[in-house]
Amino acid sequence: MAQRVVRPKTNLGPGFWPVTAFIAVLSIVMSYLVITSPWPIGLIPAGAPADATDNLFKFLGVVAAWIFNIVVIYTVYFGIVFARPKNAPPSTIGVQIHDAPILEFWWTAIPTILVVILAIYSVKIWADIQNTQGDVLTLEAIGYQFGFQYRYPKLTQPVNELHLLVNTPTTIHVTSRDVIHGFWIPELRIKADMVPGLINTLRVTPTVPGKYRIVCSEFCGIAHGVMHADVIVDTQQNFQKWFSAQGGAQGAATGSGGGGAAGGTAIAISAGKAQDGAKLFGQKCSACHSTGPFDQKLVGPGLGKIFNDPAHPKLVNNTAPTPQDVAAIIHDGFQGDIGTMPNAQVNGLSNPDIANLVAYLVSLSKK
Amino acid sequence: MAVAAAAHGEHHDGHDDIIYRETRDMRLMGFVLFLVSDVVLFSSYIFAYIYLRDSVPVWPPNVGGHQLPRLDTAFAAFNSVVLFGSGVTMHYALENWKHANRGRFNLFMLLTIVLGLGFLGGQAYEYAHAQIGGWSGNIFGASFFTLTGMHGGHVFVGVCFLIALWIQTSRGVYTQDKYFGLTAGTLYWHFVDVIWVVLFFLFYLW
Amino acid sequence: MATLAPGVPTGPYHAVLDHIHPEPTSFIRKYIFSIDAKVIGIQYMITGGIFFIIAGLLAEVIRTQLLSPNGAIVSAATYNSIYSMHGSAMVWFVVIPLLTGAFGNFVMPMQIGARDVAFPWLNLVAFWIFPVAGVILFSSFLLGAPDAGWTEYPPISLQGPPGTNLWCVAVFLVGISSTMTGINFLVTIFKMRAPGMTFTRMPLFVWAQFATTPLLFIATTALGAALAALFMERVFGVPFYNPALGGSPILWQHMFWFYSHPAVYIMIIPGFGIISEVLPTFARKPIFGYKMIAFSSVAIALLSFSVWAHHMFTSGMVPWLQLPFMIITMVIAIPTGIKIFSWMATLWGGSINWKTPALYATGFLITFTYGGLTGFFLAAVPADYHEHGTYFVVAHFHYVLYGGSIMSMFAGIYYWWPKMTGKMYNETLGQIQFWLTFIGFNATFTPMHWLGLLGMPRRVPNYDPQYTFWNQFASISSYVMAIGTVLFFYILLDSLRRGKPAGPNPWGARTLEWMISSPPPYYNYKKIPAVLAAPYDFGNPLPYLGLDAAPGATEATPTSVSHPVPSH
Repeated sequence: MAQRVVRPKTNLGPGFWPVTAFIAVLSIVMSYLVITSPWPIGLIPAGAPADATDNLFKFLGVVAAWIFNIVVIYTVYFGIVFARPKNAPPSTIGVQIHDAPILEFWWTAIPTILVVILAIYSVKIWADIQNTQGDVLTLEAIGYQFGFQYRYPKLTQPVNELHLLVNTPTTIHVTSRDVIHGFWIPELRIKADMVPGLINTLRVTPTVPGKYRIVCSEFCGIAHGVMHADVIVDTQQNFQKWFSAQGGAQGAATGSGGGGAAGGTAIAISAGKAQDGAKLFGQKCSACHSTGPFDQKLVGPGLGKIFNDPAHPKLVNNTAPTPQDVAAIIHDGFQGDIGTMPNAQVNGLSNPDIANLVAYLVSLSKK
Repeated sequence: MAVAAAAHGEHHDGHDDIIYRETRDMRLMGFVLFLVSDVVLFSSYIFAYIYLRDSVPVWPPNVGGHQLPRLDTAFAAFNSVVLFGSGVTMHYALENWKHANRGRFNLFMLLTIVLGLGFLGGQAYEYAHAQIGGWSGNIFGASFFTLTGMHGGHVFVGVCFLIALWIQTSRGVYTQDKYFGLTAGTLYWHFVDVIWVVLFFLFYLW
Repeated sequence: MATLAPGVPTGPYHAVLDHIHPEPTSFIRKYIFSIDAKVIGIQYMITGGIFFIIAGLLAEVIRTQLLSPNGAIVSAATYNSIYSMHGSAMVWFVVIPLLTGAFGNFVMPMQIGARDVAFPWLNLVAFWIFPVAGVILFSSFLLGAPDAGWTEYPPISLQGPPGTNLWCVAVFLVGISSTMTGINFLVTIFKMRAPGMTFTRMPLFVWAQFATTPLLFIATTALGAALAALFMERVFGVPFYNPALGGSPILWQHMFWFYSHPAVYIMIIPGFGIISEVLPTFARKPIFGYKMIAFSSVAIALLSFSVWAHHMFTSGMVPWLQLPFMIITMVIAIPTGIKIFSWMATLWGGSINWKTPALYATGFLITFTYGGLTGFFLAAVPADYHEHGTYFVVAHFHYVLYGGSIMSMFAGIYYWWPKMTGKMYNETLGQIQFWLTFIGFNATFTPMHWLGLLGMPRRVPNYDPQYTFWNQFASISSYVMAIGTVLFFYILLDSLRRGKPAGPNPWGARTLEWMISSPPPYYNYKKIPAVLAAPYDFGNPLPYLGLDAAPGATEATPTSVSHPVPSH
């Protein structure tokens, strides 16, 4: 009969299992606290995507608590329990073990699985944020040294205070007039760098009315530390009140982000000079637009026949655009499928400039 | 290195050969790693060029309302042939050295240096005649003059390196079997050629 | 040539190792312009130590300013320069030169049984660039030091004070030094290992230096290109980064981070190597999982080239591109975690000799794990949207850089100090210094995680009053850290003055450097030893052949004992 080989159980150390139990209990308690504790006042999640992001924070917090406890508590435990006893000679050596393949397999496999789960969950939350609705209200935020300005549709002048409408999917296009700034609303957990020459896009749906903060999160100069502003999430009523006070019409803020009747803009189109417009076109527009037919696209469509090209889609209310419509588009900017045309403020175009450009485009269409 | 050998008195030639070979192998490895880091230097600016070029809708880019012209491909192609020719002559120079043909070696070294200087002259001509707005005018000039300028700087250093090596050969520093400096010089020269292939493609063909 | 017993592998073996250069005689050639890697290593240590003190003082100005929400210790402009210089000095003039130039030069050649590095003259040049570049860096204060952080993003950096140009030059130069060191070390490790020392018999500190070398000479050059372009744009108006002239600010971020992410691995992998030496020595058992630790260092180094854009998640990069960067960043946690568990398993079952190096190595396990976990929080893109540019990031990188790199360097200095100087340090003071540092450090930087999540941005001279309590807590704790640092330098000076003789192997360690006298002779080994096995098998006799007894060795303390025993 073959001899049964009895492998002696490895003595993991005095009190190993109680310590392990302690780690488990502590981690469970910490996980519970992570999942159920609310943020302190001043950082409530005030809408989408803050709630999704907070779920990710909780998930990460739970995993981190377990790993931290395992590493720290076992390390301290090993350090205490395996210290060379006072009466043992200095020549005493430890257990001469080089590896333990099964243990190493598991402590590679389990973290790998955890990483995969965390990655998948992070991708899911990332996708949630990418798919956050927007566009019911669209506005622009422009950073400068050292403040923020906002352009709303149908408002001719930029405003200095950000108002958002509760429960409204909102798109915020951010850019900068000078250096890189950071547009961060902690309560909404959104952030995008405001980079000159680029437009970055954020989408939020605030759900809790109130006043929150915007903090500049990218060093921008001497007053970076005080570059804060307020963002007010308004109810429908308050938003309308504020919007009208800025000169906007009822209900005019929400809706598509560009086009529409120029209404209220003081652009004297008839005074435009085509020759000056031609020069401006070369400086400001030709990087993205050619003067060919509509489908001769650079970044944006060709503008040579914008008023009477039978091939191009109707841009405004299903009819061909009028010079006033084009003036409004240049003034307000335009959200196209390939990209966003910055508005006149960002492009540095005054109202007389717009008039000249329109006159030029009209002259092109007549050729 | 020879002190201990002298102190010991008797020494096999074979041992010195082993020492030489090992030292040469270490130096070769070090030199190749240096060339690798030089490739990274060029690659960084090549990345910058591609990135900047991709960020504008047309190339050459519009500056001040009109589009910049393309560079003169024909002339650059001719200048490239000059440079590649110098790579060929450098190869033959080293081959002839290894086969102890001093005369031929000298001829091909001279040709290499002359062709290298010729290339530099061609670049000077190109710089004087390029209509792309100068080094600091726009991103075309920035990327073109920076990259080709760095390359030209490397060619210039290479010419100086080759001249120094040539002087060393006339002083008997290298033998038919021990010529690491010449190997390094040849490698460097070929490296400069390979970089130019990439730059020529990026600025003149693309 | 060493004659080896039949059957003992003779490769790799290099005749070039046999020769001993004559020792220099003049003071200048011995201590100032020396080609001895050990002397160069000590020179790096002294220079890096001086820059560490300066950069640390800058940090205390930062923390003192932040004691109150409207601190006015310095003007906002000066404050911006101070943290920019603190970061620049710490990264490029303290951690990288110390971990590679100081520890690498002093320890690595001895550990592979060599007399020096492959290119000693290159080593000399690489060192001397370092203090010159450091002087150039700090002289930027005279012209208005750079003020846009150590990252100097354009367009703001294009408007920076004139000292920014000196910053570009200084960092470029020290990068050249790094590149030279990387090439030197890689050739040394490939070509100059003692006979019998195959790669899998190399000490893990050597593996770590080996893994770091491609980062040194590949990544650093990319930074040089970015710096040169910034300099050209600032001084000559060459448009790379200014959008008004067609350039792109994002281009700088790509070029800068392509280097700077591998740079953070330059700053930790050699530290991993130090921990892998200290723990087996003080636990008196083999390092657990030698092969995994060795290979994971290489894996981490290679992966580090592919994650740079995780510093740019909010910059407006194409959204789908964020995903591969996020995932690879998370994947790096796996080889890192394997190391942590292997180190823990090295402590398990040990006969731990709790001296200061062991305390630091164990403290490292805790604080580096903490820093690595917060790195995971930053890797997850949606979480990063909230955390980027805040004090959460500041907390994370101080945990990995101080709790990781600096703690590992403390461990290394206390460990190899006896070998360098031949003297012991005061162990009691060392332990006090550890606790001051460990407690002070954790108390300083833990609150910053919370401050960042609550809304405090970084790089600000003043803050919203709601953050006052934790800022004060952090600042006062930083003074405890400072006391620990002062005590550290006192301990070293005290040891030089009246430290007890250390003997060749006070810790009972098994790597080759402990087989020769302390300090070692300039030629390291009279005869190059042959290596029969990896060093860490405390249960077996030493796996070396052909070692001489060190000068001054006695019956009681020979070096060629088969089982070294700690005398301290």
